[in-house]
Amino acid sequence: MTTTTREMHAWGKLRPARATVCTPAWPPAALPGPGPLLAYGLGRSYGDSCLLDGGTMIETRFLDRIRAFDPHTGLLRAEAGISLDAILRFCVPRGWFLPTTPGTALVTLGGAIANDVHGKNHHRSGCIGNHIPAFDLLRSDQPVQTCHAGDALHAATIGGLGLTGLITAAQIQLTPIRSAFLDVELIRFSGLDEFMALSAESAATWEHTVAWIDCIAGGASLGRGIFIRGNWSDRGALTLHRPARLSVPMDLPACTLNRFSVRAFNTLYYRRFCGKTKTLHQHYAPFFYPLDGVGQWNRIYGKRGFYQYQCVTPPAAGTGPMVQILKQIAASGQASFLAVLKTFGHVASPGLLSFPTPGITLALDFADRGARTRELFDRLDAIVRDAGGRLYPAKDARMRADDFPRFYPQLETFRNHLDPSFTSEFWKRMHPH
Amino acid sequence: MSAPTYQAAVFGATSSICQETLRAMLRQQPARLLLIGRNAGKLAAVADDLRCRGAECLTLTAPLADFATDWASLLPQHSANRPWDLFLLAHGTMPDQEQALADGNSLAEVLAVNFVSPAVIAAACGAILDRQGHGTLAVIGSVAGDRGRGSNFVYGSAKAGLDTFLAGMRHRFAKRQRIKIVTLKPGMTDSPMTAHLTKGPLFSSADRVGALAWQAIRAGTPVAYLPGWWKLVMTLIRWLPEMVLHRTRL
Ligand SMILES: Cc1cc2nc3c(=O)[nH]c(=O)nc-3n(C[C@H](O)[C@H](O)[C@H](O)COP(=O)(O)OP(=O)(O)OC[C@H]3O[C@@H](n4cnc5c(N)ncnc54)[C@H](O)[C@@H]3O)c2cc1C
Ligand SMILES: NC(=O)c1ccc[n+]([C@@H]2O[C@H](COP(=O)([O-])OP(=O)(O)OC[C@H]3O[C@@H](n4cnc5c(N)ncnc54)[C@H](OP(=O)(O)O)[C@@H]3O)[C@@H](O)[C@H]2O)c1
Repeated sequence: MTTTTREMHAWGKLRPARATVCTPAWPPAALPGPGPLLAYGLGRSYGDSCLLDGGTMIETRFLDRIRAFDPHTGLLRAEAGISLDAILRFCVPRGWFLPTTPGTALVTLGGAIANDVHGKNHHRSGCIGNHIPAFDLLRSDQPVQTCHAGDALHAATIGGLGLTGLITAAQIQLTPIRSAFLDVELIRFSGLDEFMALSAESAATWEHTVAWIDCIAGGASLGRGIFIRGNWSDRGALTLHRPARLSVPMDLPACTLNRFSVRAFNTLYYRRFCGKTKTLHQHYAPFFYPLDGVGQWNRIYGKRGFYQYQCVTPPAAGTGPMVQILKQIAASGQASFLAVLKTFGHVASPGLLSFPTPGITLALDFADRGARTRELFDRLDAIVRDAGGRLYPAKDARMRADDFPRFYPQLETFRNHLDPSFTSEFWKRMHPH
Repeated sequence: MSAPTYQAAVFGATSSICQETLRAMLRQQPARLLLIGRNAGKLAAVADDLRCRGAECLTLTAPLADFATDWASLLPQHSANRPWDLFLLAHGTMPDQEQALADGNSLAEVLAVNFVSPAVIAAACGAILDRQGHGTLAVIGSVAGDRGRGSNFVYGSAKAGLDTFLAGMRHRFAKRQRIKIVTLKPGMTDSPMTAHLTKGPLFSSADRVGALAWQAIRAGTPVAYLPGWWKLVMTLIRWLPEMVLHRTRL
C-alpha cells in the first residue's frame, strides 16, 4: 500500500491538514501503523471532522467494489469507499434507488454512515443508518468484525464520525423505483409560518420535502422561500444522470460573492416562476443533486474557504428560535444563496451521535469574513442552545467544546466504543485539554 | 438465463483501469470472463463486483511474470469450447526508477512485468486468434512508451518495446480482417499505481479511461490514446528536438 505525506482538505477548505495518507486498493486486513488514524472518504464534510493533522489518513476511494446484490430484495453489499454516485450508476438502470440521500452523491458509503446522513425524505425514512443492516468494521484492537443492527458497535459507528474504526464494507437496503423521474411541486411561501403549514400538509402525502429560503431578505420578506416537494413518478424511463460537465477551474476572488450578487441571485431565484405554484416532471439529478453538475464549486468562495452552519431546533420550541436565527442572519448581511430549510420527522436513527432530531433544520453557507462571521455564529449558537437544539458535526468547524456534550446527550455511552487509535481534528477540538 | 455469448480472458484483472474497462463492457453486454492474476483474494473481490454487474466469472491464479505457463494450451482448457472474443492484458508496474537503475535485478523485473510477460502472453493469444480466425487482443501500454524521458525511461522503454511488438503483430495479421490487435495508451490515470503522485489537471479518472478503453476495443482501434487528446500531446513531445527536450525536466 503506497503512502505519501500531503495536505488534505475538507469541503469548506478552511484549514488543510498535513497527514501521512495511505490509499489501499483492497479492503485491508490490518490498519496501518500505530496511529493516530482517521478514514477519509471524498472529503465532502465541510469542517474538520474528516481531517487529522500529523496522523495517518486512510483514503478509501479505491475500495469501490460491489460485493453482492440481490435483484429481488434490493439489498446491496459494497466496499465502503464506493460513492453514492457509483451506487446510483449501478442501481438506477436496475430499478432501485438509495433509501435516502444527501444533497450530493459524491460521498462514500462509509462517509455517509459515519455522519449518518439525512435527505429530503427524513420525515418518512429517517437517516441512512436506518437502512444499513450490517457493516464490517476494522478496529486497531480487534480483527475485522461484522456489526449488525441492534449491536452496540453498530449504533456507535452510525454517525460515529469515523472514530470507532474503519468501515471496510457495508450493506445498504435500496428502495424500488419505476422511473428515474419525480413528480415535483414548487410552492412559493412568504414566511416561516407558511413553511410550517406546507411541511405539515405535505408530510403524509409527499415522500420528499425541502425548502429553499432567502436568508438575505429581512423585514416583511423575512423567511420567504420556495417549498419543494416530490414523489417518485410512474412515468419516465430509468435514465441515468450524466457526470459533471463543468468545473470551477480555480479559486475565485473572495469578492465574487457579496451581498449584492447574492441578493440579485436570491431575488431571481425566488421569482423564477410566475404564480404561486409550479409542477414539474423532474429527473432525480436536478432534484436531489442540483450542485453535482458543477465540479469543485467550493472554489467560488475563494482561497480562504467557507463555513456551513447547520442546526436543528426542536418542535417544543416552536418557530420562535428559527425566526430569531433568520433575523440575525438577515441583519448580518453575510448569508450566501441557497439556504436550505426542512422539517425532520420522528423516525429515530440507531446512531448514538446521529444529528437529526425532530424539528426544523436550517443549513447555509458563509464565506469566511473573520471575526464578523464567528461572532454571528456565536449569536446563532446561543439561540440554538436555549431552544434545546443542536449543530451538525459534519458541517462544523467552530462549535464550542462545552456545547458538544449538551447537544449530544449520548456522548458518554459513545465514548465506550471509541477506537483508541482513531481521532480527528473535530474530536481534538471538542477535547481541548 | 442463457449463457453470455461474449467471452474474454483478462490478464492482470485486478488492475484498476482493467476493472473499469470490464465495468464499461458490462454496461453494454453480459460476458463470460476468465480473470487471471497473481492474487486469489483480490481476484475473488473483482469477480464479486463483475458478477453483480452481469458477468459470469472464473478466476485463475498465476504468477504472470514467470514465463513457464504455456498459455496457448492452458487457455483452451477454460474456454467452455467456445471461441475467445477478447484477450485483454492489463498488468504493469511503475517502478521507483532510481532503485531500478541501481539494482540490475529490480531493473530486469520491471522490464519483465511491463514487456516480457505481456509479449509472451500476447504471442500465445495471437496463436489462438490465428487458429480461431477472429477475435481481439487488447494490451494496455502507455503514453510513457512514446518517447524516452529522463524521469521515466525504465518503465517507458518497456512500454515502447510492447508498442513495437504489438505494431508488428498488427502487421502480421493485417490481412486477417476479423483479427484485431489494439494498443491502448492511457495517459496519467488516477489509480492505485499513481496514488503517491499529486493529481494535476492532466490526470483522468480510471472510470473515464476504462470507458474509453472499452470503446476502442469494441471499435478495434489499432492505437488508442486514452483520452484522445494525449495523441496530440505525445506527437508534440515526440517532435521535440533532443536539444529542447534536454532543457526540460519531463
Ligand atoms: C453539496 C453538499 C451537500 C450535502 N448535503 C447533505 C445533506 O443533505 N445531508 C447530510 O446529512 N449531509 C450533507 N452533506 C454532507 C456530507 O453528506 C457528509 O459530510 C458525508 O459524510 C461526506 O462523505 P465523504 O465520503 O465525503 O466523507 P468524508 O467527509 O471524507 O468523511 C466524513 C466522516 O466519515 C468518516 N469516514 C469516511 N469513510 C469512512 C470509513 N470507511 N469508515 C469509517 N469512517 C469513515 C471520516 O473519518 C469522517 O469522520 C453535504 C455535503 C455537500 C458537499
Ligand atoms: N495509472 C496510470 O497512470 C497508467 C498510465 C498509463 C498506463 N498504465 C498502465 O495501465 C495498466 C494498469 O495499471 P493501473 O493504473 O490500473 O494500476 P493498478 O491498479 O496498480 O494495476 C496494476 C496491475 O498490474 C499487476 N501487477 C503488477 N506487478 C505485477 C507482477 N509482478 N506480476 C503480475 N502482475 C503484476 C497488478 O496485480 P496485483 O493486483 O496482484 O498487484 C495489477 O493487476 C498497467 O499496464 C499500467 O502500466 C497506467
